[in-house]
Amino acid sequence: MGASGLDFQDMIENAPCGYLSLGANGRIEHANRTLLGWTGNASDQMVGKRFSDFLNMAGRIYYETHIAPLLRMQGFFEEFAIDMLTVKGERLQMIANANERRDPKGRLLGVRLALIKATDRRRYEQELLSARETAVALEQATQEVLRTEHENSELREQFIAVLGHDLRNPLASISAGARILGRTVQSEKEHQVIAMLQTTVQRMASMIDNVLDFARGRLGGGIALERESGKPLEPVLTQVVDELRLSTPGRTIDVDFAIDRPVNCDRTRIGQLLSNLLGNALTHGKSDKPVTVHASTRDGFFELWVANAGEPIAPASIERLFEPFFRGTVRASRQGLGLGLYIASQIAKAHGGGLAVSSTSEETRFTFTMPQIDDAPVSPSAS
Amino acid sequence: MVDVLERNNVHVRGAGNRAVVFAHGFGCDQNMWRFVAPEFEKDHMTVVFDHVGAGGSDLKAYDKSKYSTLSGYADDVVEIGRELGLKDAVFVGHSVSSMIGVLAAAKAPGMFGKLVLVGPSARYIDDDAEGYVGGFSAAQIEELLQFLESNHMGWSAQMAPAIMGNPDRPELAAELTNSFCRTDPEIAKAFARVTFTSDNRKDLAGVDVPVLVLQCSEDIIASQEVGEFVNRNLPNSRMIVLEATGHCPNLSAPQEVIGAMRTFV
Repeated sequence: MGASGLDFQDMIENAPCGYLSLGANGRIEHANRTLLGWTGNASDQMVGKRFSDFLNMAGRIYYETHIAPLLRMQGFFEEFAIDMLTVKGERLQMIANANERRDPKGRLLGVRLALIKATDRRRYEQELLSARETAVALEQATQEVLRTEHENSELREQFIAVLGHDLRNPLASISAGARILGRTVQSEKEHQVIAMLQTTVQRMASMIDNVLDFARGRLGGGIALERESGKPLEPVLTQVVDELRLSTPGRTIDVDFAIDRPVNCDRTRIGQLLSNLLGNALTHGKSDKPVTVHASTRDGFFELWVANAGEPIAPASIERLFEPFFRGTVRASRQGLGLGLYIASQIAKAHGGGLAVSSTSEETRFTFTMPQIDDAPVSPSAS
Repeated sequence: MVDVLERNNVHVRGAGNRAVVFAHGFGCDQNMWRFVAPEFEKDHMTVVFDHVGAGGSDLKAYDKSKYSTLSGYADDVVEIGRELGLKDAVFVGHSVSSMIGVLAAAKAPGMFGKLVLVGPSARYIDDDAEGYVGGFSAAQIEELLQFLESNHMGWSAQMAPAIMGNPDRPELAAELTNSFCRTDPEIAKAFARVTFTSDNRKDLAGVDVPVLVLQCSEDIIASQEVGEFVNRNLPNSRMIVLEATGHCPNLSAPQEVIGAMRTFV
């Protein structure tokens, strides 16, 4: 038994944790050798003092306001982070557990306290805390930037929308003026000037339409459709072709229409789509070669394509053709805003269809296809 | 309509014409009074509660700006008193709740006829300009606020709903280790800040009811010097120095606290 008594003493004195026993009055009665070694104290420097005498001020306040009451209320505490001070005043970061000793009548005899060094663990926790603080700050900064960006882009788009509206009125005046002049002027040269005026007005009007559509799409409204399947589409397409023929004298536009079923679409929008594709083909196509417009209904689809001869589109450009503000290489006087194909693709999308492009050295072709929903009344028995 | 009694987890017990309201301080909750309050139940109506942010209070009611001053906490005490129709009651405040009681008494004349202040301090931080010793430097208090982040008392955001979401099963909260002192770390930090940076020295002169100051021996939170300052500056006050050591005689020496209170209440 003597040997095992020594073992017990060794177990307590040299345990891999600090060990303190406190009397009922809270004074230290015993500190094991491990804790004396860690703190640099001799036994008589600790015995008779209070545990909180060896804590930093924050630890003392915490001990008095949290740990001591908790110990008294539940008889133990577990896993407290506490900083002890060495004789040199250095901080020893610890995790502490404690429990009370009471006699059979419930009277307090003392408190046992076990302390484990937790420098690495506490450092890790500190790093986690500061990482969280950094993340929170970053998140706030990002939110702020996002908010500013959002406001900026909203303002920009509102500006575009207002600008588009304001540009239409003076343009309408120019167009009306040119029409009145056209009725009275005599010479061929004057007629040519007026025709040129009207062409420019038309180009500009279509640019403004595109700008407005773009702004509207970005403002969240998207492109709204007014489908009218009961009305014929072909006259609308013919009118678009005729207008562009008038404004591009000397160019050949071949037309091949085979629309034998009603097309359930927004006719004005499809006209706008054709106008954008055809305008594009006339601008970029070889000027001595014809541009072909084809429209047909077959196999449950409506198909509309525009083809021109000329230099093929570079593969790198093809990927970005339908992005807003993308402009290919073309001489400055013919340059638009780079919205035509974007708007056309948005119109295609709104119809549940798509816009595709193929470009070779022989031919560049833009093809719009949309499913042809047959909206002829369905009889109840059919279902 | 705010249910004040639910918000502050108010429990009314006992029988008697006179009410005794027990208010806990910074650190834990109404359980701080578990060995003292029952003693008064046989001849008094006892009221215990949790400050908003502590114990079983409604955390949703925690308003950063309201509770950035002790006055916000005093408003709650007055609301509880009004709800219970308290008149000429005894207010017993531990630690920071001593000054909350001083403020509440001024806000609602007639509600409290006597104050018992356990371990009071009118200001914790030294004021060199006026030669006032509070016991702490501003830097030490700052260190405390940082240190509070190291101890979550088992608090975690995942656990909070389980505790707070079962008001009808209080034993669930009681079973959890450290639950008496568990606080949302953000709220603990804010309460520590308002507690230890408060300065109520000027409010003492306005207390027109009798006060008993209970001063502990060897209290590092509120030293004897600090207690004497409170006692001296209250118009109608006497002080009893307890043999109990530490800052929480209501837990460590409840019989001595009860005995001292009986001489006054």
